[in-house]
Amino acid sequence: MNYKISIVGTRETILGFKALGLEPFYVSEPEAAVATLYDLKKERAETKGESHNKYAIIFIMEDLMSAVTDDDYKKLTADPLPAIIPLPSHLGSSGYGLKKLKTIVEKAVGMDILN
Amino acid sequence: MAILNVNPTRMAMLGLKKKIKSAKRGHKLLKDKQDGLMQKFMEIIREAKRMREEVEARLGEAFKNFIRANSIMEEDFVEGALLFSTALMELSVKTKNVMSVRIPQFTLKKEGEAINYGYLQTSGELDMALQSFQEVLPLLIELAEIEKSAEALADELEKTRRRVNALEYRMIPDLEDTIKFISMKLGEMERGAVINTMIVKEKIAAQEA
Repeated sequence: MNYKISIVGTRETILGFKALGLEPFYVSEPEAAVATLYDLKKERAETKGESHNKYAIIFIMEDLMSAVTDDDYKKLTADPLPAIIPLPSHLGSSGYGLKKLKTIVEKAVGMDILN
Repeated sequence: MAILNVNPTRMAMLGLKKKIKSAKRGHKLLKDKQDGLMQKFMEIIREAKRMREEVEARLGEAFKNFIRANSIMEEDFVEGALLFSTALMELSVKTKNVMSVRIPQFTLKKEGEAINYGYLQTSGELDMALQSFQEVLPLLIELAEIEKSAEALADELEKTRRRVNALEYRMIPDLEDTIKFISMKLGEMERGAVINTMIVKEKIAAQEA
């Protein structure tokens, strides 16, 4: 089965990824990003009569994740696909990704054992 | 420590004994699953952290290049140049089953060339920026795979731990207590019956005398 990769972010940051063949979705407000994520998750494609998610990976700029509540995040990542991966934007890393990893560890082990 | 709401009969006790047997077996299986998951999770999580740190550093560099290219060239030109890209990305996904958790495995299929524009109107920075994006992309895909796996494993670990604890600290002790309660009650009834017959026997003997 073939899937697409999408990237959500502001126009100037993700323009370059468009050239690589990712599907860009231009969003500048965190609130709009939440809606876009839900829409992207819902999109389906078909190969050989089988329906599956269109996008396997959704990259999103970290600064747009601020409006995604824990509840939203849980709903968005409940299924095996798509994988929603926050990336640092051109402004540099805000530590969001590592923080997310930390919460994952805490959930699994009961305490933070990283570092 | 609670006694379940059942009739103190031999029938009920037999049923409970069956139940406790399967509960213990389930507990053992789940415990093994939890250990297996934990082992896998530990393998993955350190890798995930290393990957993320590397990706963040390299991506920052790539973005810097791109912003530089953007500032040197006019935006319309940049966009125009990027329109010529023939690159197509497709991802084939396989799922692997680790302890009943479905983990995705991504394989990237690239087609075409990203740098496909004339060199006359574009700056060298743009080439560099696209080059660095192209280099980072496989790392990004790998990161996506690993983080998604870690997340799925963490979810399953949490669920399994709850199940194990529910069995270990609630279900099994409750069943044990109830079985003990029923066996004591049955013993009491037996003794009661013996005493009753003894009393009746005494009475009959007293009447005959």
